[in-house]
Amino acid sequence: MTLLSIHDLNVRFPTGEGTVHASRDVSFSMESGEVLGLVGETGSGKSVIGQAIIRLLPSNANITGTIAFNGQELTTLKDDAMHALRGRSISLVPQNPSGSLDPLLRNGMQIGEIFIERGTAKNTAWEKACDLLVTVGLIPSEQIAKEYPHELSGGMRQRLTTSIAIAENSRLIIADEPTKGLDFHARETTARVLSEIKKRDNASLLLITHDLYLAEHLCDWIAVLYAGEIVEIGPAGQIFNTPRHPYTQALIRAMPKNGLVPLDGQSPSLMAIPEGCCFADRCSCHSERCSKEHPDLIQESLNGGVRCHHPFSS
Amino acid sequence: MSSPVLQLTGLSKSYGHGDIFSGISFEVGSGKTVGLFGQSGSGKSTLGRCIMRLEDPSSGHITMQGMELARMRKGKLRELRPSFQMIFQHPEVSLNPRMTLAESVAEPLMVHKGIGMDEALREIGLLIRRVGLRDEHLARYPHQLSGGEVQRAVLSRIFSLKPKLVVADEPTSMLDVSVQAQVLRLMQDLQAETGVSYVFISHDPDVMGVMCDKVLWIEQGKGVMYDRSTFIDHVKAKYTSEVPS
Repeated sequence: MTLLSIHDLNVRFPTGEGTVHASRDVSFSMESGEVLGLVGETGSGKSVIGQAIIRLLPSNANITGTIAFNGQELTTLKDDAMHALRGRSISLVPQNPSGSLDPLLRNGMQIGEIFIERGTAKNTAWEKACDLLVTVGLIPSEQIAKEYPHELSGGMRQRLTTSIAIAENSRLIIADEPTKGLDFHARETTARVLSEIKKRDNASLLLITHDLYLAEHLCDWIAVLYAGEIVEIGPAGQIFNTPRHPYTQALIRAMPKNGLVPLDGQSPSLMAIPEGCCFADRCSCHSERCSKEHPDLIQESLNGGVRCHHPFSS
Repeated sequence: MSSPVLQLTGLSKSYGHGDIFSGISFEVGSGKTVGLFGQSGSGKSTLGRCIMRLEDPSSGHITMQGMELARMRKGKLRELRPSFQMIFQHPEVSLNPRMTLAESVAEPLMVHKGIGMDEALREIGLLIRRVGLRDEHLARYPHQLSGGEVQRAVLSRIFSLKPKLVVADEPTSMLDVSVQAQVLRLMQDLQAETGVSYVFISHDPDVMGVMCDKVLWIEQGKGVMYDRSTFIDHVKAKYTSEVPS
């Protein structure tokens, strides 16, 4: 069953120097229990999509398009109805766990306050919090619950914010860069925790990341973003094994294990988006048509497509 | 075989609460790269900072081109500074925010050679283009540049001094994968052109496999040296069981 369906999402931020068009004509859908990865580099607009879904964008953001969650349109939902969904049906594992935790609360109470807020007795809330710490592998949970966030490593803090996001058995979990700044060992642990949560709750996971290694191991579907738009979308195996867009291929070949092939140049400014294909001036296969005509996302299958005039054959 | 550029013998560092690392010994040959690998908190950055004498080791020897560095006086150390340089992890704090890029890249030569900014910029003009920076970048301040551009500027700063050894502390861990490839390839090219030696610090085994001839794996304060191929086998053996299916 379709849990989340996004159609032609556009997000613009007016600034003194011009309008930043952070997300352009983004469309995709997710079924229950699936993991979809939004993959892209810094400034590709991937976090903006996550924040648009959970409606945490700054108030100056201009949003058009539709976001249907479980049949309910989120973009026009009243604030109190959205408030009721947030944290219960849709939760966010935020970027930067250190800045997302209350430094004055014990780790157990970071989770426990959710239950207390909903009317649970304090000692029951504490016990539930300890159970969640075990779920994300923070053991011995009793001791860690009594400590404060500053006593945890970056990887442990990441797992703590993850445990907060799963406290209410949300249908959709949005994880924004869950491995940023973590070392190899902590990355492995985070990947394992996320995949176990998916199995446990049959929750859908929207994974926003520039960590291709994590995306490859965790995702069923992958959408590759470049300069605010989806340039390729498809099953994860297909994206990694037979990428069709030149940018996707360049990204994969830039991974150290795939040869560390550099991609020259930079992505265009989101304030001055070129008329033709955004990737044209960095692309080895571009033609005259690419600089003039903006390619549409050609849907080739139900949830697969590529935005390119000269895609590689699969 | 020529003598190593850098040789560590029994190097140890402890703070009040115990040893960070102890008994670290290895050498880096001319034009070679030795990696320091370990988890966060394993002490690999502290070891790099000790080699640079940004921190003082507790015991042991650091020999650079035949000279004992571990207990060298500050004045003498300063004379030698141009020959060993460091790249840091966080590009956003690597450059002085109040200096333009031109001022930043010219600064090392101005300090160490006592020349003016125009002369320094003339001298490193080729190098600036070599690392992929254009004239339009030079007028900008660090906050107007991307992480990759700052790391390129840092490389041109460092290589203007013609160093023998560069300690690179996670130079690309904050960069995107395509920018990481650009910066690492540039570092490899500069090594081939100048014969510089690298001590390369990273927690990413794939990066280690590409960049290093040998890797010192630091765990619980002790280091074990691996060749590139045995290192990769060892990483696989250790982590395969933990990779989610």
